Amino acid sequence: MKEETSRLTSQAVRREMHSSRAVPSVIAAVLVILLCLYVMLEAALKALGQDPWLIGPEGLASWIGSLPGGIEPALLGAAGALLFIVGLIFFLAAVLPGRRARLSIPNGRAAVVVDAEVLASSLARRARVAAGVTPEQVLVTIGRRLVDVQVRPTSGIPLDEQAVQAAVEDELRRTAVDPVPEVRVAVAPSGVIGQ
Amino acid sequence: MNQTPRTINRILLALFGLILMAAGAFTAALAVPAVARWWEAASVEAGRAIGHLLDATTLEGQRDSWLWLVLALLMVLTVILMITWIANQGKGRSGVLAHDGGAHHSGGRDDDGTHAGSPGNGTAAGDVTINSAVAEQALKAALAERVDLVNSSVSTWEFKGQPALKIRVFPRQGVAPYVVAEEVSALVQALDVTLGTQTPVLISISSGARTRFTRAERVR
Repeated sequence: MKEETSRLTSQAVRREMHSSRAVPSVIAAVLVILLCLYVMLEAALKALGQDPWLIGPEGLASWIGSLPGGIEPALLGAAGALLFIVGLIFFLAAVLPGRRARLSIPNGRAAVVVDAEVLASSLARRARVAAGVTPEQVLVTIGRRLVDVQVRPTSGIPLDEQAVQAAVEDELRRTAVDPVPEVRVAVAPSGVIGQ
Repeated sequence: MNQTPRTINRILLALFGLILMAAGAFTAALAVPAVARWWEAASVEAGRAIGHLLDATTLEGQRDSWLWLVLALLMVLTVILMITWIANQGKGRSGVLAHDGGAHHSGGRDDDGTHAGSPGNGTAAGDVTINSAVAEQALKAALAERVDLVNSSVSTWEFKGQPALKIRVFPRQGVAPYVVAEEVSALVQALDVTLGTQTPVLISISSGARTRFTRAERVR
């Protein structure tokens, strides 16, 4: 692989692992547009000397100035808290790292990113084959440092926990996920009947 | 892979969030009697200042200040900026996979036959443009034959000023992602050889609604 291509490839991996925040951005932009259109309308009416549509600038200013006149403190507090929480959601969307549930697989030619869900279903399949149970009896959760495998054995049939662990670890090693997560297999104490 | 302005997204979102948080905190604080008393005095003061400003900016013979027109224009400008911001999300699709020409004619590599013995060295006169549809359709046709994939999509994007391929595949449940990655990258290498160029490639192995509701496995 050419040097420039490999540099761009590693940049693409880093970009794909994080959210672009396009959805909150569009929501915020639409909200600002709606507010601006309304303020523009009222300002234009005022400039042309027309009557205000809903509430004129003076009316709004005197209402804000008279706060909290006549409004119950509890209502005011609740409205403020609601506004604060909405703001906090947008702020956190911007400030948090925005990591997506994805993993990257090293590859000689291309940048490869895998949804955690895809890897989880492939691990679940290996675990299921090793344990000899049906798909419904295995649940795999992938975290950043831990792969959690939950198996419900079939009632009366012993289950080899070590074999499941080895199979899942082998699949992870083949996938070459970096960093290698720890595997934890949990076998449910009660089995299911009639599988 | 697209040209979404990620830094601007973060800055503007943080700003928007902070303004909302400040407005919310102020509204909630008004419920406290001490703050309400302070606001009563401060708002009268602020109202007087705004009144003076409006009086000062009212032209003779006019009823209202020209600041209202300025405000309306500012709002139009903000709306235009916001629409630009929205339009920039997810931008960057490209129709050209590779372009070869122009650059080879400079730096002493002229069409004087010095490289005539080595064809394909970019010495011939003229430009070569490979349309992105070439790679997209070739890869899509190759991926469509596979039974372990529910669906796939191939698109070309302009990434850091260079064309790049994005291959999105949706494997069936339980298919090992490393197998898919290896086989798709083998296809990409075959494409490299065919086209004679090497573009950055992103292989995205995803799960979608269709993978969840189709049968888990098939005989391969």
